[in-house]
Amino acid sequence: MNANPYLPDMATIVEVIQETHNIKTFRIVLNNEQRMKDFTFRPGQVGQLSVFGVGESTFVINSSPTRKDYLQFSVMRVGEVTSRLHQLQPGDQIGVRAPLGNSFPVEDLKGKNIVFVGGGIGMAPLRTLFTYMLDNRKDYKDITLLYGARSPADLTYKAELPEWTSRKDVNTVLTIDNPSEGWEHKVGLIPNVLLEINPKPKNTVAITCGPPIMIKFTLQALKKLGFEDQNIITTLEKRMKCGVGICGRCNIGTKYVCIDGPVFTYAQLKELPSEL
Amino acid sequence: MSQLDDLKTAIKSRLGELECVIGWEQGYDPLHATPLFIRSEADLDRLIIGPLAVHNLATYLTGWKGKKVGVVVKGCDSRSVIELMNEKLVSRDDVVIFGLCCDGVVSQRKIRAALPADPGFVESVEIGADSLKVTVAGQAATLRLADVQADKCLVCDTPDAIVSDFLIGKAHTPAPAPSLKCQDEFEAKSDAEKFAFWQETMGRCIRCYACRNACPMCVCRDYCIATSRDPLWVSQENLPSENMMFQMIHVSHLAGRCTECGECERACPVDIPLMLLRRYMNKQVRDVFKHEAGKALDQTPPLLTFKVEEERINERGW
Amino acid sequence: MEKFITKDNLYRLAEELAATCRVLAPVADCGTVTFRRFQPGMVLDLHSRMAAVSPKAATFPQTETLLVVKREIPEKKPEIIETLPEGKNVVLGCRPCGARGKLIFDPVYETDKIKDPYYLQRRRNTVFISLACDRPETTCFCHSVGSGPADPSGSDVLLTLVGEGYVARSVTPEGEEIMKLALFSDAGDKGKEADAKNAKAREMMGEAHDYASAPAKLLARFDDMDFWLAQSAKCISCGACTYMCPTCYCFNITDDDLGLSSQRIRTWDNCMSHTFTLEGSGHNPRSTKAHRLKNRVGHKFSYYPDLHKGVIACCGCGRCIKQCPTGVDIRQIVKAAQEYAE
Repeated sequence: MNANPYLPDMATIVEVIQETHNIKTFRIVLNNEQRMKDFTFRPGQVGQLSVFGVGESTFVINSSPTRKDYLQFSVMRVGEVTSRLHQLQPGDQIGVRAPLGNSFPVEDLKGKNIVFVGGGIGMAPLRTLFTYMLDNRKDYKDITLLYGARSPADLTYKAELPEWTSRKDVNTVLTIDNPSEGWEHKVGLIPNVLLEINPKPKNTVAITCGPPIMIKFTLQALKKLGFEDQNIITTLEKRMKCGVGICGRCNIGTKYVCIDGPVFTYAQLKELPSEL
Repeated sequence: MSQLDDLKTAIKSRLGELECVIGWEQGYDPLHATPLFIRSEADLDRLIIGPLAVHNLATYLTGWKGKKVGVVVKGCDSRSVIELMNEKLVSRDDVVIFGLCCDGVVSQRKIRAALPADPGFVESVEIGADSLKVTVAGQAATLRLADVQADKCLVCDTPDAIVSDFLIGKAHTPAPAPSLKCQDEFEAKSDAEKFAFWQETMGRCIRCYACRNACPMCVCRDYCIATSRDPLWVSQENLPSENMMFQMIHVSHLAGRCTECGECERACPVDIPLMLLRRYMNKQVRDVFKHEAGKALDQTPPLLTFKVEEERINERGW
Repeated sequence: MEKFITKDNLYRLAEELAATCRVLAPVADCGTVTFRRFQPGMVLDLHSRMAAVSPKAATFPQTETLLVVKREIPEKKPEIIETLPEGKNVVLGCRPCGARGKLIFDPVYETDKIKDPYYLQRRRNTVFISLACDRPETTCFCHSVGSGPADPSGSDVLLTLVGEGYVARSVTPEGEEIMKLALFSDAGDKGKEADAKNAKAREMMGEAHDYASAPAKLLARFDDMDFWLAQSAKCISCGACTYMCPTCYCFNITDDDLGLSSQRIRTWDNCMSHTFTLEGSGHNPRSTKAHRLKNRVGHKFSYYPDLHKGVIACCGCGRCIKQCPTGVDIRQIVKAAQEYAE
């Protein structure tokens, strides 16, 4: 981050991957070599990508800090800035203001069993922590990844899924909502498949992210399985502008999602006024 | 029985079947009223009418869509109600209209100019039949209502509600002035003078959009073209040019729909004379389409319809 | 330091300062009073009323350019140019409530971790010469939020009208520097008159309202949408209250494409507007004006005090009440929450 928190770094797009019909992944490198070398962040932190002349938007840095060749962001095309981002090609210039926000409590998670539950684009923030843990595998006990989407076409990171499902040191379960020809994995809504997997809550932390309706029912399933509130972690989305807790818009009561979040435990969320 | 008593009786007779009735009550100081949402008879006790009841309550109607409400309207306000109904934004069946025969309302700006001290220091107000006795900062002043009447009242030809379920008060024979002096004087200025005036005046505008939100006809509020980013019509930058552009958008969208209720000008926290633009625009509409908004039910605003041949537009006579 | 300055000399002070600084002073402006950049020859209006707008534009202008990006013809990569503010400013003739507004900004715009260089540059280069109030308006309630008609906090020099001039009291070293100018003379025993005037003004305000229970009571009403629907019924969701408020600090950041360059600007934004919290997915946590009014009142009288040692994010100037087109009264809303019988 610059001393002036509003000043982005200029960066170059090195690769663009079409994940689904409306999600693209961008791999970018800061133009200033030294800054790229010195760039550090923690899993869960976000960045603001600038298309100059159009605006800025917030995305989680979904590459792991252990893999520094590039910074990776996955973008769903929903509005003005994201539409323009989707038009960019490798070699194009964009601005980056990062890292912003808090991060997953990776130190506290050491020695624990981890259950990831991701839906659709919600896999993006989970990916950074998942790959971080794979790169530091011995620090964590059992790792389970449950990742679902409406259909096979809606899954992101398709190129990496074969590796994730074939690894012996993680239990990766993929699921889609309805049967599809050629689909070899599970079929069923994420909360139901979660109950099937039946992870034990003892010494386990669940980390979940996805569309609001999926989060709602996943939380219900986790509570049914006996998970305590402080052992359920999620990341929130909010309209952000400054990203540093000043412009006043991303608050829920006294907490600002851009500085006190976006990572929150369910216990923390329950203490806040209900304004998600 | 006073006009207020008759009004209360009328409201009482329908209150049970309505979500609420929108009227006015005493405001934050003796010189101001404020809208009142009447839901019970206890609320009804707080109802007031009179020259301080300036707010056009029709602006709330579109927010109560789908619910049955009552609204108290002066003559000018009833034009807004009619226009909303003509544009099918409000259904006649959903509104019980308590129409007033209005004697005119005040202009806070004119009161400020007429008092020996700023009305912010008001201590008490006595409203007489045609005067206002105001005690401000320890000094008493009696103002003639005719001298501090809102501009719109001077040229008003519809003092009594045009459409209503109850019409309350003594009917008037309107005797409006043909035009407003301030409007005529402004229109007589040269283009260069007018431009300099707006350059200077729009420098005060802070783009709060109070004018837009106070307007009963401005129903796009949350999705206003002026705050659209894609396409981008107006920059957020607070330049006189951008501020004036917003007014151009607003005035154009009101063409054929503006009922000259004056709420935009009244709402402006920095006293920009917005009605200068709207009155001029309404003149053009009168000339070209022979139309005045909100004067009769079941009329279609001229810019919301299409005629192959317009009577007063000479399209082919080159 | 205590001195005296005649009305004529105060005008000369404005002229002298205008030679080297941007001077913002209240002027009569077509029937209202606003702060304009002072040019010699302008007529000041210090006494008829408090200015309709607050002087916060001195430290937090309506529009501010954060950066400019220049795109040269393909050979050169685009360049980001930081556009920090320059120069010195003086606000002359604001009221204590207006000068105090920036004290609410300070702990937000400068924390251990984050410093807003645009705000801080202006903040450190702006001097406030405030005028104590002789009498309160019907909408004044500074005494209820920890201030008063002669509160020096936030000002560099505080003036009190005595006869044909002003007793001037320095509050900060910067204020003292200004008061060393020859335009200021000995105050003699006028100080006592100034004290009496200040005391009289405070007395005229009557009893202060106690907002101590407001933070907890407002949170208690958070899920009570009937309460907020009733409180917000007459609100038209514009933004006049927010933009007039000396303590409101929320802003928007937008880009303007200017062809071969673009600018990123920050402009005042208003939490009463629908798009304030509108997310890209289309979800809006504050989709109705009831939700938004709840947040505005909650932020000022509950969240901010909880985060900042009980300080209410309101200076009691009353502009939001008298400029509101429909007379929404924040005092009434907070009081209703405090007095709500469970």
